[in-house]
Amino acid sequence: MAESAEHLTCREVVELVSDYLDESLPAEDTTLFEQHLNFCEGCVWYVDQLRATVEALGEIREEDVPPEARDRLMGAFRDWRRS
Amino acid sequence: MASTRAHARSSPTASDEADLVARLRAGDEPAFAALVDRHYGPMLAVARGYVRTRAVAEEVVQEAWLGVLKGIDRFEGRSSLRTWIMRIVVNIAMTRGEREARSIPFSAFASEADEPAVDPDRFRDESDGFPGHWRAYPGSWAALPDEALLGRETLDVVTSAIEELPAAQRVVITMRDVAGCSAEEVCGALDVSDGNQRVLLHRARSHVRAALERHLDG
Repeated sequence: MAESAEHLTCREVVELVSDYLDESLPAEDTTLFEQHLNFCEGCVWYVDQLRATVEALGEIREEDVPPEARDRLMGAFRDWRRS
Repeated sequence: MASTRAHARSSPTASDEADLVARLRAGDEPAFAALVDRHYGPMLAVARGYVRTRAVAEEVVQEAWLGVLKGIDRFEGRSSLRTWIMRIVVNIAMTRGEREARSIPFSAFASEADEPAVDPDRFRDESDGFPGHWRAYPGSWAALPDEALLGRETLDVVTSAIEELPAAQRVVITMRDVAGCSAEEVCGALDVSDGNQRVLLHRARSHVRAALERHLDG
């Protein structure tokens, strides 16, 4: 993953951000990742951008059940219960 | 920053779920209505990943609910109820998707891994003092008002960016970040490894971020 065990480049960091946000980055990578953020404002902003992206995705509303679909489903449930 | 609702949507505990399943088997109508309200949206979103039109996706979801009723007596609780329901959606949607030639080739799960998250030209090259570091920092979005990030227009950009994704990435990001499924639920429903799931999600989020950046930073 990292070319050197000593530090990560920005180019390497951007490949790890999604896992970092999900807390699925291995411990040693997390340490290197956070060390990098300590001195790199650009990557801090990048991490914020990806976090904001995930929040925006969570705001996309899945629609409510259309009334006709709901009626059909409840009808199917009653039929199933009787069978 | 605005809500983190996507992550706050909690999963029911195993005993809640066993209770719900027992009520369904007993023919409890309000229990079924609540289940429909909870899962219809995410099911529709997943089905949309496989088939071309909303109308067909709705048919898939309808058929999946019939499958849920038919199968509920055999549900053993080895996965979460949602994982089990999503598997039914995926199976039906794949059959429909094949007919519509929008099925997800499983090779797609393995072959999408190489594209970089960010355009390599944005990083300094070997001839530079700091190879691999930003040429110019990405913009800070911290000062943007919530309306800029979560307004209708921005969410439309996000929706279009999802649409542009390869199918496997589209389904994974929809399940994880739109529908709020856990990584485990996605792996269970799609039958992919955790590593694959993470790579697909990473690529998909990176793509959506890039689209947002073009929209917000112009």
